[in-house]
Amino acid sequence: MFRGVDTTQLLKGVLDLAVLAALRDEDGYGYDILRRLRSAGLEDVGDASVYGTLRRLFNGGLLNTYVVPSDEGPHRKYYALNAGGRAELQRSGKVWQGFASTMDDLLRERGTA
Amino acid sequence: MIGTEQDEITAYLYAVRAALGDLPESTRDELLEDLPEHLAEVLVEAGGTLVERLGPPEEYAAELRASVGFVGGFPDPPPPGRLVELRSALLSRLRVADAKLGPMLGYGRASEFVLLLRPAWWVLRGYLVAMVVAWMLDDSGQPMGLLPRIGGSELIALLLLAGAVLGSIWLGRRSFRSAAPWPRWALYAGSTVLVLVAIGGFFSADSSARDSNYSDVNYDNGNPFSNVEDVFVYDQQGRLVPGARIFDQYGAPIELGNPYCMDETSGEYTHTDHMGYPYCPEKAPFVTPTEERSPSAAGSTPPVPTPTPSRSAPR
Repeated sequence: MFRGVDTTQLLKGVLDLAVLAALRDEDGYGYDILRRLRSAGLEDVGDASVYGTLRRLFNGGLLNTYVVPSDEGPHRKYYALNAGGRAELQRSGKVWQGFASTMDDLLRERGTA
Repeated sequence: MIGTEQDEITAYLYAVRAALGDLPESTRDELLEDLPEHLAEVLVEAGGTLVERLGPPEEYAAELRASVGFVGGFPDPPPPGRLVELRSALLSRLRVADAKLGPMLGYGRASEFVLLLRPAWWVLRGYLVAMVVAWMLDDSGQPMGLLPRIGGSELIALLLLAGAVLGSIWLGRRSFRSAAPWPRWALYAGSTVLVLVAIGGFFSADSSARDSNYSDVNYDNGNPFSNVEDVFVYDQQGRLVPGARIFDQYGAPIELGNPYCMDETSGEYTHTDHMGYPYCPEKAPFVTPTEERSPSAAGSTPPVPTPTPSRSAPR
């Protein structure tokens, strides 16, 4: 059975990397990170997926957290890359770039791109 | 409207939690730990109700489950037993401790450091095996010491030790990836026994080391005065010198014995009231015939130095 490529399937494999990348330049809280991913073009990403991924990366020791109190809204839990997270971002980023360029080459050879 | 927002979050959270009811409680708690804050952020930032923004709680729970890689949906995994739940609780605690302790040791995780110690364990394991083998084969009845001596032989001990250590390292470098789980379990069981042996051996060696120190101080031949209880000084004429003081070449008083005397009739020990030696003049081993317990009359008659043992020295 042929299964067409859809972004939801692709996202599952790279959401960790996407979240790490979204935190590369600036710490962020859950909804903030979701917004960054969506504005970067990943419109299909779900809130629960981002929250779950953040929890998993945190439990995996790649993220640090801190709480920023706020007078009006709720307290916000910020996530930040630690050294382990940066190393993982670099490593996974290279894997992804290798994979993506392989796919690019494949598609180009077949004349589809 | 803070109150109703809080209610909405609580209700949504409750439904999500219920939908994840098949996960072990500790896993679920860990997963949902920050969700109340997160839902509050969503409410503030996105506007509308939570269900409008995020969809039904059951869908949210399913997406959450998928994103953290837990199996679920249909068919449900068998409900976890107490033991499984306990195990996952322990494991998650361990993981947290692992990550927290790591930086103190200068590693990302404590387990990385522990893994580096594996060859050291192989060597120790070889030593322990050699000790157990020697203990089983040795029937000489002599204490074995810290080497695996058989029949008191050092040569056998060293050969056995070398063989066991090399064997243990060889075993350690082999990986157990075979299909049958039993070699691995046998290894674990053996290791557990060895660790128990090691703990037992350590404490027995420790206590015997302490015992020998104890006897060094008190009974060793190195100190011939250790059993001296009192000192009796006699002058040239064989008279007992009362209240004698003895000093070393630096003028420091030499303290021997203990200043307690046993009362023969009552059998009680009382502190002596004599300054200097002897502490207990009535226990003098030799008596001078010319002056029996009257040192004040000493000068009147020339004493005859004929010390004779009057009674055995107190032991």
